[in-house]
Amino acid sequence: MIKNRWLTGFGLLLALLLLMALAACGGQPPADEVEQPTEEPAVEEPVDEEPVDEEPVDEEPEAEAATVTYWHTMSDAEVEALDQVIAMFQEAHPNITVETTRFAYDDFKSALLTGLAGDEGPDTARLDIIWVPEFAELGALVALDEAMPNFQSIADNTFPGPLATNFWQGSYYGLPQDTNTQVLLWNGEVFGEAGVEAPPATLEEMQQVACDLSEGEEQYGYALGGTYFWAPAPVFYSMGGQVVDEAITTADGYINGPDSVAAFEMLAEMYEQGCISPNLLGGGIGTSDGHATGLYAMITDGPWMVDIYANDYPDFDVQFAPVPAGPGGSTSSVVGGQDVVLFEGAENQEAALAWIEFLMSEEAQVTMAQSGVIPTLRTVRESADLPDYFGVFLEQLETAQARVPHPAWGDMDTAINNAFQRMLAGEQTAQEALDQAAEEINALLQ
Amino acid sequence: MAEATSHVQQTSKQRQELSLPARAQRRLSRQGVAYLFLLPGFLIFGLFVIYPMLYSLRISFYDWNVIDAARSTFVGLDNYRTFVNDPIFQRAVLNTVSYAAITVPAQIVFALVAAILLDQPLRGRTFFRVAYYLPVITSWVIVTLIFEFLFNSQAGFINYLLRDVLRLVDARVRWLADPILVMVPINLLGIWKGVGWSMVILLAALQAIPDEFMEAAAVDGATPWQRLRHVVLPLLRPTLVFLLVVLVIGGLNVYISGLLLTDGGQPQGRSHFILTLMYAETFDRLNFGGGAAISYFLTALVFVVSVVQLRLLRRRVEY
Repeated sequence: MIKNRWLTGFGLLLALLLLMALAACGGQPPADEVEQPTEEPAVEEPVDEEPVDEEPVDEEPEAEAATVTYWHTMSDAEVEALDQVIAMFQEAHPNITVETTRFAYDDFKSALLTGLAGDEGPDTARLDIIWVPEFAELGALVALDEAMPNFQSIADNTFPGPLATNFWQGSYYGLPQDTNTQVLLWNGEVFGEAGVEAPPATLEEMQQVACDLSEGEEQYGYALGGTYFWAPAPVFYSMGGQVVDEAITTADGYINGPDSVAAFEMLAEMYEQGCISPNLLGGGIGTSDGHATGLYAMITDGPWMVDIYANDYPDFDVQFAPVPAGPGGSTSSVVGGQDVVLFEGAENQEAALAWIEFLMSEEAQVTMAQSGVIPTLRTVRESADLPDYFGVFLEQLETAQARVPHPAWGDMDTAINNAFQRMLAGEQTAQEALDQAAEEINALLQ
Repeated sequence: MAEATSHVQQTSKQRQELSLPARAQRRLSRQGVAYLFLLPGFLIFGLFVIYPMLYSLRISFYDWNVIDAARSTFVGLDNYRTFVNDPIFQRAVLNTVSYAAITVPAQIVFALVAAILLDQPLRGRTFFRVAYYLPVITSWVIVTLIFEFLFNSQAGFINYLLRDVLRLVDARVRWLADPILVMVPINLLGIWKGVGWSMVILLAALQAIPDEFMEAAAVDGATPWQRLRHVVLPLLRPTLVFLLVVLVIGGLNVYISGLLLTDGGQPQGRSHFILTLMYAETFDRLNFGGGAAISYFLTALVFVVSVVQLRLLRRRVEY
């Protein structure tokens, strides 16, 4: 019996310990819990006043200590700039601590979702512009035009294209933190050896030059990173292609319209002739490595390549040019970028809004620009402190077009991606493949 | 201590006076202790296995909103129906089943050969045992990336070997761009990485076979082949059945190598496995109900296959 009692006691102890361990896992660190409620009443006032009052009220000593979490997918260079931005922010708001978490782009969506589903998500994040409608539709985002008193004055100073990516069903769910686009990158050495002086100015010329600079499996005139929409998008938009109508009601006559078909026909033909590298189908040499080593004479890519090449290929002299113009005579490209958003579960909304406002400030945008991030504020674009190579990107942004701002954009991208794959595999003509894509996209719009 | 001894005496006195219901009660309290010991493990099991399983079963009947579950709509069996008729899902099942059908027998055969060889008194036996086992303890992600480099269509070693050294092909093979060709590195990787584990299990089983059996067979004039066929293999049968069941379950759960080498089912979703499709549906398309339905399909498949295998193959073997 004694033995049994001992066993019982021991078993109970184990069970208790386990329960305690489980409880501890689920809870917050106790220190935070104790401090916040006691100080809250005293602090709320100054924070409330903040947007109204132009004076830096936050420096007053009684401000409550608050933490804002911020998730992002920044590069090394961007993280360095962000650290400076955070230091500047904390100087102005000594009571607010910004905790950042960095993710790989490919893991970001699933990390956010699991975090949000478990109430462990961030207060704020920098989201790819194409994800904002999707997360808004899920009910994860706070409408900033309602929650942020000075939303309108900030929004008025941003460019309409990037701002529009935050709009979903009557509200703005974010602010455009940065923007970017793709331009043509041409390898001067490869061009020089072949006696080609300048980058192609039209898509027709581009096809010609690409084929002239291709040589069996040893060199390709042009390379795309994959078959997902972002990769052919510069050629697609420059050719005059459209995915859907402006009101986002139908793809019929747009994705399978003559200009869209012409763009994909050109790419499929170039691939067929061996003027586009097969790496776009996967399992080859990546576009940036291939371009710097001369394997690919031309690629299309964004402003971050400056930093990547500076690290990986310091001797490579990267050359930028606008995307070659289509038959209509005008160049175009695709708008990329990121929006800063506020999540529904944010613990301290006032502090989070202060952080968002600071990210949209001129000083933060100028600091981030040094790492290759293109600012979205009109007043900053005119400033002289921006890197020289921004010129071609800013010029390209004038005509660059946004992808469809719709929660089902991911599926639309897949439809076009699959159509492109079917063309490259020779299973369908461009017209047939895009007719099918139009049908699939229309089904998503209903 | 004295107190404890007196307690023992007391209880032994009580024991003599026990009536029947009291005895039953005592048995219950003894078992109660056992259940108490099982409790921590069961709590963990319940919290991290049973509860999520039932929860995802519920999700599979909804158009699930992961952020706000209250906004989910009940759709009954729609998620299951959609996938049964989906060519991408059918292709994923085919890819997964053929992966298991190829890698499992190959792993067992190679492991058996290696185990029999390494059971002999060879020089450097320990070295080879370690060498064969090394792939097992390396990370899936790392070896998958190595295979991705090896099979790179433009700069990979395999194409260099085939085209430039052996001159077997005229143009570089696009291993990772074709939904069927990409199965070559994925299956090879599965075999290469799994052989060591099966080998160790078989080696242990071989060493458990008493020497007398082999000696007796040798005295009777059995050739080495006959000894393998009629003595070793029958005695290894329980181990082989165990390996078969475990490896098939593992094979049907192929995930990391598929995800990385096919870039998530490229091209056109034709190189998906069941689990990579489940991940893509859940986290790329935010179709949580569909993802849950796919995982229940996989559960059913694994369950049926395992039960059938055990029914057909289980037979007692005594040494």
